[in-house]
Amino acid sequence: MSLNLVCMQLLNGIAVGMLYALMAFGLSIIKGLLNIPNFAHGAFYAVGAFVCFSAYERTGSFWLGLLCGFVVSAIVGMAIEKFGVGKLLASAYLFQLLLLFGVALMLEQVIILVWGTTGNSKSPPEFLQGAVDLGITLYPRYLLFITAASAAIITAVWFLIEKTKFGAYIRAGIDKKEMTQALGIDIDALFTLGFGLGAGLAGLAGGLAVPLVGVTATMGTDMLSIAFVVVVIGGLGSIYGAIPAGLIAGIVQSLVTIWAAELSTVMIYVAMLAVLTWRPQGLLGER
Amino acid sequence: MQTPIIRTEKLIKQFGGNRAVNGVSLDVASGTLHSIIGPNGAGKTTLFNLLTKDFPPTSGRIILYGEDITREPPHAVARRGVGRSYQITSVFQNMTLAQNVWVALYRRERQGFLNFWRHADLDASLREEATEILSRVRLDERTDRLASELSYGDQRLLEIAVTLATKPRVLLLDEPTAGLSHEETESVSRLIAALKGRYSILMIEHKMDVVMGVSDRVSVMHFGSMIAEGTPEEVARDPEVRKAYLGS
Amino acid sequence: MNPKTPRRDLLLRTALLAAIAAVSPLLMPTKIAAEILICAIFACATNLLIGYGGLFTFGQAAFYGLGGYAAGFLMARFGLPWPVPLVAGLLMGAVSSAIIGAFCIRRTGIYFIMMTFAFNQMIYYLAYTFRNITGGEDGLVGIKRPPFGLPGMKPLNLDNPTYFYIFVAAIFLVSVLALFRIVESPFGRVLVATRENPRRVASLGYSVSRVQLVAFMISGAFTGLAGALYAMLYWIMPIDAVHWLSSGYVVFTVLIGGTSNMFGPIIGAGIFIWLQGFFSTLWARWPLLFGAFVVIVVLFVQGGVIELFRRLAGLLGGRERAGAS
Repeated sequence: MSLNLVCMQLLNGIAVGMLYALMAFGLSIIKGLLNIPNFAHGAFYAVGAFVCFSAYERTGSFWLGLLCGFVVSAIVGMAIEKFGVGKLLASAYLFQLLLLFGVALMLEQVIILVWGTTGNSKSPPEFLQGAVDLGITLYPRYLLFITAASAAIITAVWFLIEKTKFGAYIRAGIDKKEMTQALGIDIDALFTLGFGLGAGLAGLAGGLAVPLVGVTATMGTDMLSIAFVVVVIGGLGSIYGAIPAGLIAGIVQSLVTIWAAELSTVMIYVAMLAVLTWRPQGLLGER
Repeated sequence: MQTPIIRTEKLIKQFGGNRAVNGVSLDVASGTLHSIIGPNGAGKTTLFNLLTKDFPPTSGRIILYGEDITREPPHAVARRGVGRSYQITSVFQNMTLAQNVWVALYRRERQGFLNFWRHADLDASLREEATEILSRVRLDERTDRLASELSYGDQRLLEIAVTLATKPRVLLLDEPTAGLSHEETESVSRLIAALKGRYSILMIEHKMDVVMGVSDRVSVMHFGSMIAEGTPEEVARDPEVRKAYLGS
Repeated sequence: MNPKTPRRDLLLRTALLAAIAAVSPLLMPTKIAAEILICAIFACATNLLIGYGGLFTFGQAAFYGLGGYAAGFLMARFGLPWPVPLVAGLLMGAVSSAIIGAFCIRRTGIYFIMMTFAFNQMIYYLAYTFRNITGGEDGLVGIKRPPFGLPGMKPLNLDNPTYFYIFVAAIFLVSVLALFRIVESPFGRVLVATRENPRRVASLGYSVSRVQLVAFMISGAFTGLAGALYAMLYWIMPIDAVHWLSSGYVVFTVLIGGTSNMFGPIIGAGIFIWLQGFFSTLWARWPLLFGAFVVIVVLFVQGGVIELFRRLAGLLGGRERAGAS
């Protein structure tokens, strides 16, 4: 086990972790606004990935693919909120949960219908291929890109939430729903847009993942579990908790791969247990 | 001097930037009826929530009958004899009157281990005791009615009955007459007067006539701090108190 | 159940359950009827948490699977007497739910849901990874149903579908009657109170998290038992049984049958299994149809079908005062 390898895996972990963070960040926003665990989040990731893949295939432009992935996932998310979850907000919570469950089922099947069950892969665009010499190790350029792109997206969303008027509405919607409504803000529209944002982030994560892991029929479910675990690790209270939590998950997974590849995903759960035991409110939670 | 039944020492509760309870030191003497008054948002209910451990204090101590209960969870504090009623009526709507009281009685009589096997209503002695307790609040007719069928005022009486069923040492009454009509306020006031002496009572109230007539001591809260304390007459004359009420 | 006539109500209830068990195999293939009864135990156990406890658990498949794997493992490798795999399933369910419950119970609503889901997936991944025990993706195969024998009688071969059905029906009867008993007991009533107003219940001296944890364990135990029976049903314990979709299905089953008493989930189980069969004859992509059905039911028929079933279930269960929902 060389330093080389550890470094490589650490960097891998950061890249993958940023994807996890991006995914879980979207989930956190939805959870914060609508107070609901989005069981369809994995499906949004998969939709984003498949749409990106197809667009990239057709047009040769990865950027277009990413954009399409984001937009389609966001639109699907908004539609689900507007015609589904939003309509059930006054009803029993259980109905909302089951709706998302049903939607997740449907989306997964629709993906199989449209794209078939065999997976596919695609290499990254020319200028992102190859490796960069970091001194200690050679590092795939695309992974660097994922890290940078995810960080950029997260920063952009942070800016949106903390520094813009729309973001202020989102924060108000998360912290003080009744007051937001009382102030005359259209909370239904806010929820729809917020849900779309969260879904879009999942779709973006999916698109970014395409040159890394390709597209497979089950990619949604796999990511859903991780997204949930990351949000749990990130903790109560802050929507940003998912970001360090995602990084931890990615790093743990990548480092464990050195010793026991099959256990690498399970170790994310072990990390969750460890965090919960030592700090029950999660990383950034308040008691 | 007798040990106060409740003593708080510089109790502080901070919610983010807001200090809801700001260094409150309070003594409630055993056997007395002690009221806390103050304008809305003064922190009275937060103080109660601290006493019943709904959340932990940011700093300070709470001492019950000489024992420090600052770190104890709500159910442990309840077992030590702190009985509470709530501002928004907290009766179990889908249970009958008898069953509501049963929930409180069962814990006290059966000491915790929850039986899985017998039917909950088959215990005759608990049923009799429930009826007796309901008679104290004049709700002992048709104890098989659902709590949801009662009027708001009667639900308030039921809630107090449920609290009494735990045989508390001290009663914390959070605005017992809130939302009640004139007659309902009268019945609850009469009940409180009847309970006085048999229980130590700490009460939050807004209605001055309820407070002044029945309290042994009155404390006034404003913006999280105690600004005055004394007998009802002393407090009524206190200029700080008048300023707090008129000024807000 | 009316406390003034407990014996009569118990008799009626037993008769009704026995009737359901007796009539079902006349209306459909025995194996399907057995699957419905097994699903019913799973659903009733889940309803203890969802309907009575107000704990929306989306991870029950973890205990179903663990119970099935424990029992299945014993049945595949060793020829043990019939109570052993059943007890193994029950204990496995109880212990695993105690451990997982200890992490999940103190959390507020949404976190509880997310954590039960996360633990479910953890168990799924463990099952996938440790294929030498669980068979991984292919499931645990080679399960042999033990013969059923009581002292003083000749053992019956449970591979005979009729005998197996009676075996499952007997366990169904005992399990559901036990669950009815539990929800009408002091424990059950306090559990319902914690659903309605946990703060108030704590102020009366109860440790709400302890009550909820015990409910979680009881539910886990019966769920594990159902899993053990499921392992016997098709002589295989598939990994799908542990998947989070399975958890979602059982929640749907509970909801569609009605959460206000223990008959609801039984009806729900019948509907669910029937639907599953019906949709799979229509299309190989039946989960799509099922997903669409769930969405439609939840969106449009909220009051309708479910209310209807609830009223029916309510009639069957007698006057349900301290009931759920």
